[in-house]
Amino acid sequence: MFELGGIFEAIGKWLNGFLPPVWVTIISAVITGLAVLGFLSLLALFLVWWERKISAHMQQRYGPMRTGWHGVLQTIADGVKLLQKEDLMPKDADRIVYFWAPIICFGAAFMAYLVVPFGKGIIVQDLNIGILYIIAITTFTVVSLLMAGWASNNKWALLGGMRSAAQIISYEVPLSLAIVGAVMLAQTLSMNGIVSAQAGGFWHWYVFREPLGFLVYYIAATAEANRTPFDIPEAEQELVAGFNIEYSGMKFAMFFLAEFVNMFTVSAIAVTLFFGGWQPLFSFLGFIPSWVWFMGKSLVSVFVLMWFRWTYPRIRVDQLMNFAWKFLLPLAFLNIILVGFGIVVFK
Amino acid sequence: MTVKELKTEEFMVNMGPQHPSTHGVCKLVIKMDGEEIKEITPHVGFLHRSIEKIGENRTYAQFVPYTDRIDYVASMNANHAYVIAAEKLGGVEVPERAEYLRVIMAELNRIASHLVWLATFAIDLGAVTPFLYAFREREMILDLFEMTCGQRLTYNYMCIGGVNWDIPKEFEPKLREFLKIFPSRVDDYEDLLTNNPIFLYRTKNIGILSKETAFEYSVSGPSLRGSGVKWDIRKAESYSIYDRFDFDIPVGYNGDAWDRYRVRMREMRESAKIVQQAIDGLPGGDIQTKVPRTWKPPEGEVFTRIEAPRGEMAYHIVSDGSTKPYRMKIRTASFCNLQVLPIIGINHLIADLVAIFGSLDIILPEVDR
Amino acid sequence: MSLVRQTTNGIYNLILGLAVTVKHLFKHAITLQYPKERWTMPERSRGTVVLLSDTETGKLNCTACLMCEKACPVAAITIEREKNPETKKFEPTSFTIDMGICCYCGLCEKACNFSAIKLTGKYEMSIYDKSELIYDMDFLQKLGRDVKYEKRKRVVKKTAVKKATAKPKTTEARAESGDKKAEGTSSTKDDGDVKEKPKNETEEGKE
Repeated sequence: MFELGGIFEAIGKWLNGFLPPVWVTIISAVITGLAVLGFLSLLALFLVWWERKISAHMQQRYGPMRTGWHGVLQTIADGVKLLQKEDLMPKDADRIVYFWAPIICFGAAFMAYLVVPFGKGIIVQDLNIGILYIIAITTFTVVSLLMAGWASNNKWALLGGMRSAAQIISYEVPLSLAIVGAVMLAQTLSMNGIVSAQAGGFWHWYVFREPLGFLVYYIAATAEANRTPFDIPEAEQELVAGFNIEYSGMKFAMFFLAEFVNMFTVSAIAVTLFFGGWQPLFSFLGFIPSWVWFMGKSLVSVFVLMWFRWTYPRIRVDQLMNFAWKFLLPLAFLNIILVGFGIVVFK
Repeated sequence: MTVKELKTEEFMVNMGPQHPSTHGVCKLVIKMDGEEIKEITPHVGFLHRSIEKIGENRTYAQFVPYTDRIDYVASMNANHAYVIAAEKLGGVEVPERAEYLRVIMAELNRIASHLVWLATFAIDLGAVTPFLYAFREREMILDLFEMTCGQRLTYNYMCIGGVNWDIPKEFEPKLREFLKIFPSRVDDYEDLLTNNPIFLYRTKNIGILSKETAFEYSVSGPSLRGSGVKWDIRKAESYSIYDRFDFDIPVGYNGDAWDRYRVRMREMRESAKIVQQAIDGLPGGDIQTKVPRTWKPPEGEVFTRIEAPRGEMAYHIVSDGSTKPYRMKIRTASFCNLQVLPIIGINHLIADLVAIFGSLDIILPEVDR
Repeated sequence: MSLVRQTTNGIYNLILGLAVTVKHLFKHAITLQYPKERWTMPERSRGTVVLLSDTETGKLNCTACLMCEKACPVAAITIEREKNPETKKFEPTSFTIDMGICCYCGLCEKACNFSAIKLTGKYEMSIYDKSELIYDMDFLQKLGRDVKYEKRKRVVKKTAVKKATAKPKTTEARAESGDKKAEGTSSTKDDGDVKEKPKNETEEGKE
């Protein structure tokens, strides 16, 4: 019922009727790609609004109220405003790098969704190295931040870019190691494989098999998405706006949207790896479409990230690295050892 | 290329005048080695309005509105400092009720000022939500002020010889309601910050101000008490009627940013206690002593100081017997407190500088006057 | 061991912080949708300065005594006056207040003995050109048309030199004008009359 996976299959079958198979593959890839792109753009717009609303209500404010019902169209209005703005470039900026940084940031944020299973059969390409691909592609975000910080020819921006590089070196390691636990349990790198390994009720979810791994992953993912308390590359109180201090107009909007898409990415991966992806809570709840389960779980995770942001102060850059290397990394190793023992003992 | 050949160099950064964490228009020229600060030079004067000189060209009564603008976050205290000096100069007696009202207003404004500090300090460290919680309570205080004197920021409430307005009837129930809920609200802030490990990491052992340095630079107020010096003019050199109230002077131990934070948080509770006692003991009677419209104090000079939220605020007024002061010198706490920033801020990271600047609670109009 | 304690303590306090914010998530907003809703200004509110007119004759109360002009610390008030040959009394020919430099301290109102000048709760006076902020006599009178006040009695004139005596009457006048001002706001204040009492007490205490 309302399973969207069927639609893609049906389109594929219909195309197969009159086109050679090579064309079918290309066309269906383009269609699904465009669908994901459109969906994510809308999602990012929604998340921006949602964050503003959540922060407002946590602070006993209203948040945006004027554009549309409770300000739902506010992000679109802001986007239109940013589109109209003059695209400024500092005089001594490295023009090529400055131009490409937001595009890479935006592109990398969207590319990660190539292997994210949104529901049963709703996946652009089920790569057999899916999770590895995600780790690789999300790192591109940092390259873009470093590019932006360097090309802006601004000291604050440079500090922001350097901070983001330092942060990613520290956080990519525990993040990857935390993922290893889930991979060991599922015996596969494919995202679909990991999801189907957690089928059959919530007690099969990996968060209950390796809570430590989830904890490490979630903390590292907060840093990966540049969210408070780990938003040090941006740190508007210290570095004014960090890497994007010189960006304006649409380029700024790209960074901004990418941040929200990234936040959804890490949530989606957390859901896939630790909360059974699109699997329902109990198997008798299977009549609810799988994509609803996936979106619901991911949005809860996004909410928690927002909740962190509006509660905690920001950690300092050296403390952040200390924390990653001296605390998270040992924990991640411990998790791997525990999971290994668990597999040996229980199988 | 070997490591030796790699050349690094220090660079200068202008932090301010347009920087979100300098709380106004302060410019800090920072020499940095990577993220580490090697040298800080504060540049002040962007907000200079020559208030002292204006004071010499206004009559004594006319100058009261200007004192509001010296420290716009704690205008009542600034009013208080000036009227006490002028009254001492002219030997004016103040009615009992007016003294009580002055204490209530000054202490409420101390709470309001500390709330602004808490809000900005939290936001400097990246925690945005305490900002709005603190402003919510400040709003309640400003409502009380507004119903009494009609303004929310520049009160012009006190005048030479008393206060300008008596409190309206709905003031007292509202104040009692505020005093009832305020402690629980402070608990909320403390839950959000005080023992939060991230907050502790950011403030513990950051910007340690030793007693000796504090004395050398004549730091005052909560920043001094954070270093463990029990010096509060309200107790040490009691003015107005502060000797009638029972309150503690909170002090810190290490003199780091966290201690300064703790001192202010506890001071808010103490101030609430003073207000409670004052409103309970509020006597009836006049609110103003008759002072002639063209008031001429006798020749002479006077020096008085009070404990403003940011430290000692002192007035030195020289009178030549005319309607206007001959010379006026205003000592503001923020100016002295800012001077220790280059001492305690070096060898910290830039993120710490923001925390230290916030913990010193500097108001730029008070620095520049 | 201390590391374990530190960690558990830290996690407890982190959760405590989360509890505070989520508690507020379900509370009602305390802010206001400004142009749609407005705060009720308290009756003593010190906003735009207006000139008051006599309720019966409709003429200005101002006698051009220049007291407010002298009291103003920023010299925002400029008055030109003329002697009426019939009544042998001064009348203002021009009365301008530069709202751009006015500091809303209320000293002019305190100085006035004839209930002629008053600070009201009106606060929306944005304009496009700075010169429009210089209010002339007609405009000030127009602004003050709907402001309710109580005229001071003649007693005041005798003790005009002492500002303390004149004071409580001012507050009384303010209390009176309270409900009038609420007219532009969403809700009305109902304690306009309640307020009179403490004022009267202080007035008696003075005299």
